[in-house]
Amino acid sequence: MTETETAPAAGQRPTMSSAGRATLDIALRIGGLFAAIVVVALIFIAINPNIANLNMGASVLRSLSSVAIMALGLTLVVVVGEIDLSFGATYGLAINALAVLWIVHGVPVYLAIPIAILIGAVVGLFNGILVTSFKIPSFIVTLGSYNLLYGVTLWVSNTGTFNPAYPPPGATVPEDQLNFFVGLTQGLGSFQLSVEVLWMLGIAIVVAILLHRSLFGFRLMAIGGNPVAAHLARLPVRRYKVTAFILCGVLAAIAGILDFSFIQTSQPNTGLSQTFPVFAAVIIGGASLSGGKGTVIGTLGGALLLAELQLGLSILSPGAHVQQIFLGAVTIGAVALDLFLTKLRKSRGA
Amino acid sequence: MSGTASSGISLRGITKTYGATVALAGLDLDLRPGEILGVAGPNGAGKSTLVRMIAGEERPTLGTLTFDGKPWSPVDEWHAVAVVHQEPQLFPNLTVAENVMVGREGGSRQRPTLGPADAAVMDTLGIGAVRDRPLEDCSLAIQQRTEIARAVARDCKVFLFDEPNSALTAAESDELFREMGRLAAAGKIVVLVTHRLADFVAHCSRVAVVRDGKVRVILEGDGLSEDAIARQLVTESVLSAAQENAADRLHYEGAPPVFRTRRWTHRTAFSDIDFEGRPGEIVALFGVEGSGARELLRSLAGLERCSGDVEIGTRTGTSALDTLTAYVPATRQQSLYSNFSVGENLLVRLGRPQIAGAGFLLKTQAMKHLARDAVKRFLVKTGTTTQPIRSLSGGNQQKVAIAQALNCEPKLLLLEEPTRGVDIHSKAEIYRLLRDYANEGNAVVIFCTEVLEVYEAADTVRIASAGRLSRPLSVGDYDHVEQLASDIIVLENEHRSAALS
Repeated sequence: MTETETAPAAGQRPTMSSAGRATLDIALRIGGLFAAIVVVALIFIAINPNIANLNMGASVLRSLSSVAIMALGLTLVVVVGEIDLSFGATYGLAINALAVLWIVHGVPVYLAIPIAILIGAVVGLFNGILVTSFKIPSFIVTLGSYNLLYGVTLWVSNTGTFNPAYPPPGATVPEDQLNFFVGLTQGLGSFQLSVEVLWMLGIAIVVAILLHRSLFGFRLMAIGGNPVAAHLARLPVRRYKVTAFILCGVLAAIAGILDFSFIQTSQPNTGLSQTFPVFAAVIIGGASLSGGKGTVIGTLGGALLLAELQLGLSILSPGAHVQQIFLGAVTIGAVALDLFLTKLRKSRGA
Repeated sequence: MSGTASSGISLRGITKTYGATVALAGLDLDLRPGEILGVAGPNGAGKSTLVRMIAGEERPTLGTLTFDGKPWSPVDEWHAVAVVHQEPQLFPNLTVAENVMVGREGGSRQRPTLGPADAAVMDTLGIGAVRDRPLEDCSLAIQQRTEIARAVARDCKVFLFDEPNSALTAAESDELFREMGRLAAAGKIVVLVTHRLADFVAHCSRVAVVRDGKVRVILEGDGLSEDAIARQLVTESVLSAAQENAADRLHYEGAPPVFRTRRWTHRTAFSDIDFEGRPGEIVALFGVEGSGARELLRSLAGLERCSGDVEIGTRTGTSALDTLTAYVPATRQQSLYSNFSVGENLLVRLGRPQIAGAGFLLKTQAMKHLARDAVKRFLVKTGTTTQPIRSLSGGNQQKVAIAQALNCEPKLLLLEEPTRGVDIHSKAEIYRLLRDYANEGNAVVIFCTEVLEVYEAADTVRIASAGRLSRPLSVGDYDHVEQLASDIIVLENEHRSAALS
């Protein structure tokens, strides 16, 4: 392990002009993550060869999609050096607001969806302004808005569950709108690959360009790396932080809408349990909670590893407790391994 | 030689390598009790590694340490060594007195109490009156003296002072050196690391000059002078750079000013300041902490709100401050991004159209070229533009910090103590960069706390005291830094007494 790691570094040293050491570090980090994904998949297949089929693959990808979309939003907030705990509640509020507006009040779905996304944006704006203008730590602000939003969701939904295919008495859902909504995440091809996966990939590409190829992302990394320096250099710190929170809220709302389309049943407490798996995906993906560090590919890898573990363990069905224990162990293990490898590289290089 | 080895600490053949980098290459040094030993050296020479080694923060790769003739490992006997750092490393949430006591709980579960000896130490250092104040509410000078008190009260055998007085006033550092002298007289081993050569001459009995991982020479007795240390420190002839470029100074007399303030007033720090600078002029703002000089500089960077008129070129008001000035903070922790490479650090303040085009997409090719150009133009010594910023030496990191601001092409460049903690070679290069930049028709304002910096870098100096500015002094009129220093002190005192009456 250590041999393979130092060998390319030593070989690269004389011609380091284009591909730098930092890039190499990230490549090794992500390479390690994807190696873990392959190893875990092989272990599951060795235990039960029946799960090695493309239907299963399509299912893993579907189940990670909404986690990945939220994790991408959270990555932006974490990169800028803040924390968002409220996205799971935003996800739930978006679903329930959409359900009530559309199914109960008869607002056309084409209008109700933008409203639900707008709600996500408003939540992000609310979080962002409290963090930047009132200087309340984001952990506290979003812990508060998590509970606050859950309360609003209970109120909006009147603690009811909704399904557009079975509207409550007195309400009707037009056929074309139902078809459109279900079509957002319909299965494609013989393996029933959900369109939700394509939405996720599209969003990942947009966020990747935003984070890694745009001025916005460059400055987001700078602000997360050293907020004091960014303020003294007059970078638009507040505006960028607020924008990161808004994008996180919007992506949480989109994830909610897509999952609602797939599952077709809304529940008042939906999304709350997503908070920690999403966080785990971001952390396993190599983002640092102290800010300035994080990649789209890493976050996607984190989400993939988690989805794979969750699905694999539930099929092998050793019990729900095992999934939960793995989620915890993998999160801590990924960060511990990361710190260990960083230390190893530092003691050998520099 | 054998006599010295049996008493105090002896380092023999100490070697420390980090990967392929050799920080110390077979260093020999004796630390004797009862004297203040100075350690001088340009940045990157191995000086800080040596300090960390004696402090027990690093283990040597090769070589032996002995204490009074017996093998000794400071890593295991860390409590025998006290280090007073450049930036105090204390607990801001505790009071001054609690900071002095922290770490002495021992096996006891009880809260430690302040003994009469501790109180005496704190009184000697002049922090007895503030002992119940939380450290975060204290000035940097008091924080630093707290750190000294902490080391003194711990009754250590070895005291390492690492740039201890860089943030202290003259009176405060005199007090500190008296305390160091007392420690040495009590038979302790005292080591001083500093960039201020005058302090070596005034207070040390021997000065070891470290270069290329070895002790190059030990200066003592008549051989110990500022000039002798300086000559051992520099590798190339850069000492005369500041004087040399007097010839190519732009003639700014009579030109319209680049910037001008009228009735410029801050909420607390200063009022009614009329201040200006001409194209090609480097103005030093000299003042101690609390004089208003730092706040004035930061107000010109748009970081402190002020009333009054300001004009830069043809623009006025806050829009002028926000677009035409650039500010370099005093410490690199406030200007560099440790998660970024050298190249990214150089370009971080740029925006459209330099590094991003339509749609805010980054121009990655242009960024590579810009970064390489900046490395050349600002004399940054780095292997590549993609290596981490922390891999550079302190002096080169400081050049990157200044280059960040220069890359914005401000009409008015504002710097706080641009060469604090920087070696002589980098210092000369930084002055050169500032001079070149001024010569392009821009104005530079430097907040200085050391007269030597004023003398070496500036054309004009304005002394700030009690929220007012003195008349400008032309640095070119002085042949010796001592004359300038005494005139500055005279002006400072005049102002202070005028403000009092």
